[in-house]
Amino acid sequence: MEKQKEKIPLFKSWKGWYILVLAVLLALVLFFEWITKTYA
Amino acid sequence: MSYIDWIVLVVTLVGIIAYGLYKSRTSKNLEGYFLSNRSMPWYLVLLSIMGTQASAITFLSAPGQAFTDGMRFVQYYFGLPIAMVVLCITFVPLFNKLKLFTAYEFLEQRFDLKTRIFTSFLFLLSRGLSTGISIYAPSIILSSLMGWDIFWTNIVMGGVLIIYTVSGGAKAVAYTQQLQLIIFAGMLVAGYLIVHYLPEGVGFKEALQVSGASGKLNVITTGISEKGFDWKDRYNIISGVIGGFFLALSYFGTDQSQVGRYLTAKDNTESRLGLLMNGLVKVPMQFLILLLGALLFTFYQFNPSPVFFNKSVETKALQTPYRDSLIQLQQKFTAIQAVQQSHTQSFVIKGQASYKDSVQTGAKKMSELQQQYRKVLAKAMPGADTNDTNYVFLRFVVDYMPVGLIGLLIAIIFLAAWGSIAAALNSLASCTMIDFHVRLKGIQYNPNDPAQCAAEYRQSRLYTLAWGVFCVITAEFASGMGSLIEAVNVLGSLFYGVILGIFLVAFYMKRIQGNAVFMAALLGEVVVIAFFLMDRYNIIGLGFLWLNVIGAVAVVLLAALLQMVLPRSAKPA
Repeated sequence: MEKQKEKIPLFKSWKGWYILVLAVLLALVLFFEWITKTYA
Repeated sequence: MSYIDWIVLVVTLVGIIAYGLYKSRTSKNLEGYFLSNRSMPWYLVLLSIMGTQASAITFLSAPGQAFTDGMRFVQYYFGLPIAMVVLCITFVPLFNKLKLFTAYEFLEQRFDLKTRIFTSFLFLLSRGLSTGISIYAPSIILSSLMGWDIFWTNIVMGGVLIIYTVSGGAKAVAYTQQLQLIIFAGMLVAGYLIVHYLPEGVGFKEALQVSGASGKLNVITTGISEKGFDWKDRYNIISGVIGGFFLALSYFGTDQSQVGRYLTAKDNTESRLGLLMNGLVKVPMQFLILLLGALLFTFYQFNPSPVFFNKSVETKALQTPYRDSLIQLQQKFTAIQAVQQSHTQSFVIKGQASYKDSVQTGAKKMSELQQQYRKVLAKAMPGADTNDTNYVFLRFVVDYMPVGLIGLLIAIIFLAAWGSIAAALNSLASCTMIDFHVRLKGIQYNPNDPAQCAAEYRQSRLYTLAWGVFCVITAEFASGMGSLIEAVNVLGSLFYGVILGIFLVAFYMKRIQGNAVFMAALLGEVVVIAFFLMDRYNIIGLGFLWLNVIGAVAVVLLAALLQMVLPRSAKPA
């Protein structure tokens, strides 16, 4: 019942948010790896 | 500090207190005082979560950490976004559904009273002591650099915020934590000025080249060498993701200072959004703070750098028989620095890549001389703190920032400290009131009884005040013990894993009952302490982040084993 009432911004379900957070983390790690390799 | 800086500092601090008091009007009952009537939008929850986690020492220490050890410290936060996701799936919906005041209330519903009280007690013990150190740590840095009396610095650092924390509870805490946006603005200005002060022809990109060549942009490290994985290595991607995940899950899921922040949200959606946004912004934010340290390293390749950044210890050491040795090392350092400056200029301004090796060699020589200098300082001043990492950024502020901005940046340090200390006091008071006072006296919460609400409100304020006084006293006693800072950091890791283990059993192992988990927690604590002692006495090598993993895994496994041999009680699990 509670789930039906919950209005989730941006995505259809919370799963979208979870994937976004993990994808951003992955992108950041790749970006940091690039910095490490480029400037080391 | 100039008069203008003093005026800026005092006006800013008074402004923060006035704002906190202005926002402190809240319902005079337990829900209003500890949970802002569960009315906060996600962005206030986010700022509150961030302000609680980022203490003053975060902003002081992180740039120094990158300056000395490079930016690999950021990996410590890699487990945090994953923990935010797990929290949103498991912890948050349940905590909100049960309308809890404290996280430990859930343990009584799931297990029994003794597990709740034990876990709440572990929290009060570790958080109470660490909050004292959160007051002392920035105070000692400010008092050393500015020549302020440590007693009064502790009082202002830990005592003044009590005014609005006692008066307005969680609501005042959350609204003053909003002001931390000023902190980010201040750090951005500092970053801009560091690059601005570099010589002509050296911009942001060139600054990165210099710090990169000197090993300061080591953002990703694996901790793996020819000898295999180094368990002693504190910051690498493996310990960051695994150890950092357990630490973040424990901290955000079971530490009332954080749970109390997202329980103030008006519903499940706002709690989740606050936490997920934290998962999105925390790593980049830490990266930017660390970048300041890497840029500062480049700055000191072109400008005279102190051999040692804590002026106070250095001045005292120069009055001892070791003066000549210290001055000799200073002269050597200055000579190497002059050569280093010329090599760095050739490397970036003239674009001569062949100078890259010379820059690296020079940076290594300077670092070695600094280590030698610290060793002599330790002999000259036995017991003095010869780790100057926390002083690097503030020394730059004091030496190079324009008048007015010094006062503002020091006010920002206070603001950062107050944000995390205020949240800690609020959570300490809520656990004392809800888990001990109300529960053990058998008081039934009734928001419709004005007399009872008034009495509970008064009592809650008294507990907040009492914890504030306790933490300031702890800070005053910590003054003579520099190594206590490290000891209390480890203290947190000694308890966090076990507390997390109890909650993991509660959520995911439905068959386990109270007696099994309680005994597993006690034994798990013994296991963690055993590993800690083995590391201390060099029997094994273990970074402190792993203690969180060991504690949690030990409780889960022991609870499962004990449940097999212990008789099951009639009470349904």
